[in-house]
Amino acid sequence: MTAPGRPPARVETATGWYVYGVAPTAEASEQHVHGVRGVAGKGVSLVDAGAVVAIASEVPLAEFGDDPIADNLRDPAWLERRVRAHEEVLEAVLGSVPVVPFRFATIYRSEEHLRAALGEDGRFEQLLEQIRGKVELGVKGFLSPMARAAEETGAGTDVTSGRRYLEDKQSARRRAEEHDALKAELAHESHERLAAVAHDAVANALQPSEVSGRDAEMFLNGAYLVSRDEEERFRGALQELERKFAATGAAYELTGPWPPYNFVESAT
Amino acid sequence: MSTPARSGSSLPAAYSERQPAQLADVLERVLDKGIVIAGDIQINLLDIELLTVKIRLLVASADKAREMGIDWWEGDPFLGRGSKDGALEERLNRLEEAAGLGDGDRSESERKS
Repeated sequence: MTAPGRPPARVETATGWYVYGVAPTAEASEQHVHGVRGVAGKGVSLVDAGAVVAIASEVPLAEFGDDPIADNLRDPAWLERRVRAHEEVLEAVLGSVPVVPFRFATIYRSEEHLRAALGEDGRFEQLLEQIRGKVELGVKGFLSPMARAAEETGAGTDVTSGRRYLEDKQSARRRAEEHDALKAELAHESHERLAAVAHDAVANALQPSEVSGRDAEMFLNGAYLVSRDEEERFRGALQELERKFAATGAAYELTGPWPPYNFVESAT
Repeated sequence: MSTPARSGSSLPAAYSERQPAQLADVLERVLDKGIVIAGDIQINLLDIELLTVKIRLLVASADKAREMGIDWWEGDPFLGRGSKDGALEERLNRLEEAAGLGDGDRSESERKS
């Protein structure tokens, strides 16, 4: 049905607007996004929506339209590139203006739709004030997994004595309980101390080692909203934790600064 | 008496240059956090292949942590480990599993809650 040499159907050449986040119109400037590539590799613009501007990219609907994106989301390589691009755009503006980060793939069919949707949303101004001058820092805490040797001897060797077997099992169970209690204590105290030097704090679900890519067990996956001028203080609190719990084998990993992804969902 | 080499060298590494963020940390934020605003294109996050791999693991680990009593992030204060019987049994199961004694199915089917 398509004649040879015919240009692609009109719908495939259409574009939409992919929004990474919003910033105060009075403060954002094209300069902040100059040279940033965006999710479609074509640059990032500011779309004026009244009090806020959308940090956005024009994207081909052949890639981001309803049907194509459903397929693309199943392609891990596609998704990773786009997710990382989303983050990089927001990182580029992070130091200059407050920005409310959007979740992945918020897309409008036209600038008019974008303006209509975002210009009337009253949440942004309040959120922007809440996060002004602050960044999100991530802290992950890890603990070496419990030594497995004892468990394995309990099961693997020829156990001739049932009593010996039970004793081994009991002591392994005790060690496991102590290990879990230590993890819980580390998690609780670490989060509390870090939250004390932050404006807001969230403890997220722990990443298993398949996700974290580390052998050590995660005991804390926290996000902290920290004033830029209090970052040093926050780092100091983290160093204090490192020292305090060094003997337990606990190790911490600091990530960020991130756009405040974990601190923009509250308002309605 | 302790091992100064380890703690001494691990500390600066955590604070030095900004390394490329780990994919899991970026996915967790960009796909699962950030404000949700209705757009014109409806995407079904359940369709995301990586979500099914990575985020499901995250959810699974939340369940696991809950079983261990580390559930304080859900609003509970410190350590709801009052329910001894269930927790103990679960630990036993896990140990048996780790030692290759028990059948792995058991904890899997009990995970639902």
